[in-house]
Amino acid sequence: MTDSAASFSNRPVDTGELPDFQRVELHRVAPAFVPYAVISQILFWAIMVLIAVALRVVPFSPFAPAWWMVGLAGLAATWSGILAWLDARRRGWALREHDLIYRQGIIWRRTVIVPFARIQHVESSSGPLERVFGLMRVKCFTAGGAMSDLSVVGLDGESARKVRQHLLEQIRDTGDTDADRGGVGDVDES
Amino acid sequence: MTSTSLEGWQRLAPLALVFLFFRSLQKFIRENLFVFVGAGAGFAFLDWLGPRELVLAGVGVLLVLVGGSVIYFRRFRFRIEDDAVRLRRGVFEKKELRVRFARIQNIQIGQPFYFRPFGLVRFSLETPGASEKEVELPGIRRELAEWMRDRIAERQRTVAGDIPADAATGDGNAAEVYHAATGRLLLHGVASNQVWVLAGVVAYLASQLMNRFSERLDEAEVLVATLERFDNGWLVVVLALVAVLAILIILSAVIAVLRYHGFRLEEAGDRLVARHGLLDEREQTVRREKVTGLMFRQSAVGRLVDCWSLAVRQTRSSDAQEQAERGGFLVPGMAHRDMDIASRLLEGARAPGAIQPISNRFRRVYWQRWFVLLLAVLGVFSFAWYWGHWTSLLAAGMMPLVLLILHLRFRQWGWCRDGEMLWVRQGWLGQRIDGFRLDRVQQVRIVQSIYQRRHGLANLQLVLPQGSVTIPFLPLAAAADLANEAAYIAETALDHRV
Repeated sequence: MTDSAASFSNRPVDTGELPDFQRVELHRVAPAFVPYAVISQILFWAIMVLIAVALRVVPFSPFAPAWWMVGLAGLAATWSGILAWLDARRRGWALREHDLIYRQGIIWRRTVIVPFARIQHVESSSGPLERVFGLMRVKCFTAGGAMSDLSVVGLDGESARKVRQHLLEQIRDTGDTDADRGGVGDVDES
Repeated sequence: MTSTSLEGWQRLAPLALVFLFFRSLQKFIRENLFVFVGAGAGFAFLDWLGPRELVLAGVGVLLVLVGGSVIYFRRFRFRIEDDAVRLRRGVFEKKELRVRFARIQNIQIGQPFYFRPFGLVRFSLETPGASEKEVELPGIRRELAEWMRDRIAERQRTVAGDIPADAATGDGNAAEVYHAATGRLLLHGVASNQVWVLAGVVAYLASQLMNRFSERLDEAEVLVATLERFDNGWLVVVLALVAVLAILIILSAVIAVLRYHGFRLEEAGDRLVARHGLLDEREQTVRREKVTGLMFRQSAVGRLVDCWSLAVRQTRSSDAQEQAERGGFLVPGMAHRDMDIASRLLEGARAPGAIQPISNRFRRVYWQRWFVLLLAVLGVFSFAWYWGHWTSLLAAGMMPLVLLILHLRFRQWGWCRDGEMLWVRQGWLGQRIDGFRLDRVQQVRIVQSIYQRRHGLANLQLVLPQGSVTIPFLPLAAAADLANEAAYIAETALDHRV
């Protein structure tokens, strides 16, 4: 028997003793995210309302929507604004020793746990409206298709930079073994 | 094979031109057939063109395809390096690509029948995250391909460093895991859902052609007149449909036999090797370490005749499941007793055991929603003037069917935990069982609707390198336990990213 086999153990794990993600205290997203979320939601529907009104007013318009359609778009704007407000106040994130947790959603509440050891790379970005409110988002890429990337939205610039830096350090620490085994960067294209 | 003979840039054999031409022709037809036939636009275009112009356009297309293949062939170069293969290719823009041996997850050696007399093969490589084959070398000598295959395995073992040197490389000490008799392959073809895809294509093309003829010859009347000559016109129609279906089933069985003829799955050290094919002989090699999951599949017909297929899952970048499965590593024609081979393909795996059901609130809530939806639809349309009694009856008649489908879906959905393995079953008439080790989990997601929150339920979604798997309507405590455990196992696993 080899040394590694002798030192190997495989004791059963008591699931009750495992760290529970539900007990983790989440940080609220930045306060500026609340007005940002409401405005960005309302803005979309407001543009729809404006287009609908413009189509009614402009002469020789190919399609003039009825007033009830304009009203419906207005209602949708209000409803999505309320949902965005409720959601923004409940969104939260947390960093644990080995993973990142992010919770979002009002009608569908979704909690995502991303182990650091599975993150392939990290990206931080901010759109024009986000910049107005001093917000930034951190995007984590893992294997499993483009649909499965996680965007942590609603961080203030300082927190986003810290989170990104922390994630990069964690990736570097857990990725050392991967580099030896042929990790990221296996295909070079020019 | 000596390494000196491989120094510098290599070219493909001239016969590769035939392969490149057929491949581009196939791609052209695949990309344009439905656009051409769709909505009759193609036929209108054909009517507008004369026969002479049509022949000229056909010749033009062929010339472009031949020209494209020649340029691709002339520009194509490859080079084998110590730990990588390098390619130069491209028709309009020149691309240079370098693929490291250590990251290759799938090697294929194929030999179409026209390559056989010349001892040439098609050699392809795939890496994780690639949406299609990264490297394809059509028309290289078999010895070179086999040398490269062994060289890649050797390099991968050196990098991994944990596999004994006497682990098998060649065919010498390969152990057979499974082989499919021709009878099982015929069953695989018959049970395959491919029949219904073919039937869909045939029905679509037939309806397009019928429309076209009825425009010109009033074919519908001719058909009705013809049918009236028989005493039992509808019987003829039914018999014709049955005959078409029978032909399609036979066709599907023949395709399965041609494709998987002599299927043998072997394990050679750290690799799994599948060999099959009559016209296009294929050898597919996968490192066991690069297998991220297994998927057993059984169609509705397959359940009647005990016919399963097994897909060996690997990391993919594409989100489209079907797209990702094309050209994958598939074990056809298995019986239930063959499912034990799971343990030979994935460490720690055993054939899935007893499946635990999901909460029956799944069935109840969807039944209620459908019922409310049906009432709403009936309510709205009963005011519409064109809403006849028969349509109301039809809509109401759909209801038991929908309820039955939801019930079957509920019956199928379930999960089974076995050590570090998790099996998730889903389907309705057929079934699909995804199995994976929890240390492969990339992300854990718990999703709850308002209804689920009220009743202490949750959907658990596990993102894996090959895509994501969902178990809906689990009791929240069970979902949270599984989520915590999956995160713990993924975080303490020795192997990290794929």
